[in-house]
Amino acid sequence: MIATNEVSFRVDAGGRLVIIGPNGAGKSTLFNLLNGQLMPDAGNVFFFGQDVTRLPLHRRAHMGMARSFQLTSLFPELSVLENMMLALHGLRSSRFNPWRATLSYWNLLDKAEELLSLLDLWSKKDDQVHMISYGEQRKLEIALCLASSPRLLLLDEPSAGLTSDERLAVMEIIRKLPPDIAVIIVDHDMDLVFGLANRIIVLHYGQIIAEGTPEEIQADPRVKEVYMGMEEEKT
Amino acid sequence: MGVFVICLLNGISFGCILFLLASGLSLTLGLMGILNLAHGALYMVGAYVGWTVAAHLGLNFWMAAVSAGCVSGAIGLLMERGFLKHLNRLPNEQVLLTIGFVYIITNVCLWIWGSIPKPPYTAKFLSGAFTVVGWPYPFSRVAIILVGVCVAFGLWWLQDKTRIGAMVRAGMDDRDMTKGLGINLEFIAAALFFVGAFLAGFAGVIGAQLIGANTGLGLDILLLALIVVVIGGMGSVQGSLIGAMMIGLVDAFGKILFPDFAMFMLYFLMVIVLVIKPTGLLGRKL
Amino acid sequence: MGRPSPIQDRKLPAGRPMASAVPYLTAAVILFILPLVLPSYYLSVLTMILIFGLFAMSLNIIFGHTGLNSLGHAAFFGMAGYIAGISIVTYGIKSFWISTPLALAGAAVTAAVFGVIALRVSGVYFLLVTFALGQLLWTIAEKWYSVTMGRSGFVGIPAPDLGISLLDLGTPVRFYYFVFVIFALCYYLMARLHRSPFGYALQGIRERESRMSALGYNVWLYKYIAYIVAGVFAGVGGILYAHFNGSIAPSHIGFSNSALVMLMVILGGAGTLWGPVLGAALIVLIQSFASLVVPARWPLILGILFVVGVMGFRGGIGPHMVKRVRRIFSSGSYQS
Repeated sequence: MIATNEVSFRVDAGGRLVIIGPNGAGKSTLFNLLNGQLMPDAGNVFFFGQDVTRLPLHRRAHMGMARSFQLTSLFPELSVLENMMLALHGLRSSRFNPWRATLSYWNLLDKAEELLSLLDLWSKKDDQVHMISYGEQRKLEIALCLASSPRLLLLDEPSAGLTSDERLAVMEIIRKLPPDIAVIIVDHDMDLVFGLANRIIVLHYGQIIAEGTPEEIQADPRVKEVYMGMEEEKT
Repeated sequence: MGVFVICLLNGISFGCILFLLASGLSLTLGLMGILNLAHGALYMVGAYVGWTVAAHLGLNFWMAAVSAGCVSGAIGLLMERGFLKHLNRLPNEQVLLTIGFVYIITNVCLWIWGSIPKPPYTAKFLSGAFTVVGWPYPFSRVAIILVGVCVAFGLWWLQDKTRIGAMVRAGMDDRDMTKGLGINLEFIAAALFFVGAFLAGFAGVIGAQLIGANTGLGLDILLLALIVVVIGGMGSVQGSLIGAMMIGLVDAFGKILFPDFAMFMLYFLMVIVLVIKPTGLLGRKL
Repeated sequence: MGRPSPIQDRKLPAGRPMASAVPYLTAAVILFILPLVLPSYYLSVLTMILIFGLFAMSLNIIFGHTGLNSLGHAAFFGMAGYIAGISIVTYGIKSFWISTPLALAGAAVTAAVFGVIALRVSGVYFLLVTFALGQLLWTIAEKWYSVTMGRSGFVGIPAPDLGISLLDLGTPVRFYYFVFVIFALCYYLMARLHRSPFGYALQGIRERESRMSALGYNVWLYKYIAYIVAGVFAGVGGILYAHFNGSIAPSHIGFSNSALVMLMVILGGAGTLWGPVLGAALIVLIQSFASLVVPARWPLILGILFVVGVMGFRGGIGPHMVKRVRRIFSSGSYQS
């Protein structure tokens, strides 16, 4: 079974690309291919001119790719701060240090405070992750991605399961991201999609059926057909 | 030439015993993902119970085999219902629990039957031998092969040709789906565990014709069964059969050709198989 | 948010509190004083506790921290013990300072080789591979009679020769202090490892491997290094044991020893640093007691301990106690 078929696109620095499509359209698979969790049967992934198709996950992170997960993927037994410190060490050679206490890296603690405060999580820094609310966990999920100062950010359904207030907060955070990084988002929330995207791709059954600016997509009859079809199935 | 044939027959008959033992281990590992390290101990219990019934009390050999199977089966059922069930999805804990049972069962056997090994025993009418290629060959070994073949056929038929077999195989492949279809996996799991344990105890008596009963069996025979399961593959009757035959033959020929290396070779083989093809020759993927 | 506060003003954030120094100092003082009051039998029990505590802590590095369940950890314990014994007795290398690094190197190389093989698989298969690898060494120890003296074990290992006449370790009390110093040193090293970035990475791998990869960590490399480090620390235990016991046998390399140390970690609690030491203490104490009163029934008791330990103390005795103590002293941010 082919999950994504002949999908081809590019994103430039500063781009805000959102991928939408009905469930099962292959969006998460696409992310897994970009991120390195899956290897494609055919085709290539290029990152800033380099072919990274066969590169393992962690090496892509070193090249500047960061990804959030649809199913919250944090470290539940560790505290918020410890989660952050793990993320911050990810690209640094100090991650192999077996001697110095993690919490004594002052410069990283500063950065942790900066990022966590940005997301309103600094007050919860000592709480274990499995004890904070779901919305806070989703925010932490994004915060961890920012720790590596990535050049490309892949956000997998960042608004999933959030209340409308929390959704607005997340949108604000994404809006305030540095303008030179590229962001690819997969999501269902249309406010978020049209509020943030400067380009949209629509996936259906693993293929791109439309691509363009938000206005173009809204006007596209094929897109309407796909979503109308979904509506009809529901009624 | 004669030696070769004798070795071959020895390998096959020992392989049959291993098959009886390994098939139970393979089924519980394949269906429930439980590595039951107490399986060898269940074999040992069977060998001892069989001794009490057949040699000590002088009763019918086959009755001894069946009753031994029932005793082992009961212990196995107790393990599963009383303990393993509560450790669902905790494979490390499950293995450790079974290790604990090995110690308990072994020591209890020592307590009851003492430390002097029990010599091999067999049914009265099987205690003769007939000549094969100029050498005497015991009836009991032939009987073992016959029993092995029958059980193998029966299990294969159960696995591939019956609804129950289909349900078990479905359960192995997709647990949640099977439950969703309303199939009572709990009952099947318990039943399977009982059957596996029964076979172990039964194998203990059948095998006692060759090796008797001693308290080292719990681990010794387990190691062989593990190798069989690894090489032959987990979760399939055919796999256990192939693996058992291979190990039986390696053991029989190894004893003659390179006695000191036999054990080492077996472990080495186990590592190789686990690393190259973890599911073994004919196993289902866990 | 405002600018970050200057370093001088800042308090170290609490994180998850390491137990304060008091319990450690108390334990250290007690362990220091005990040999002066204990009769020699109890002193040897205490020495065993420290040795096996060290062994259990080494397993904790891969089991508790990284989540790798190995049924062959005793291989490194035994390997180092054998190399130490053989180099001293057979090859006449008298000095502790030579035989020990040799033995530790042996443990490290073994772990390096085993690690490459075992880490190709995971789950039940990892259990089986580590088991088989350990048993491979066991068969060598049993069969290679000319080198290892076979099943009865390699005997005649003297006390460590430190080369300094003042530090003659011939008496039990002096040997105990020697073990104590090494134990404390290793404990300290492992504690630092636990709080270091490397140690945290191991915990992260245990909790969410995929996330760690996405963050830039080479997960396989971490597991591999942890496996070797754990093997080396196990080797330290093996060397101490060989000197303490005067001998080392195949059973110390094989499955039964691996299962025993696993039980110590589970009973005492895999989540903490000192939990395994507690587990080791419990088992060594019960074994010593049993061997005096009902020696033939010790395996039965051990088996029951296994069952009870697995069923009952799911998180280990250690954390149970910690939760209780915290409930008494904490300010309430940790509910159990």
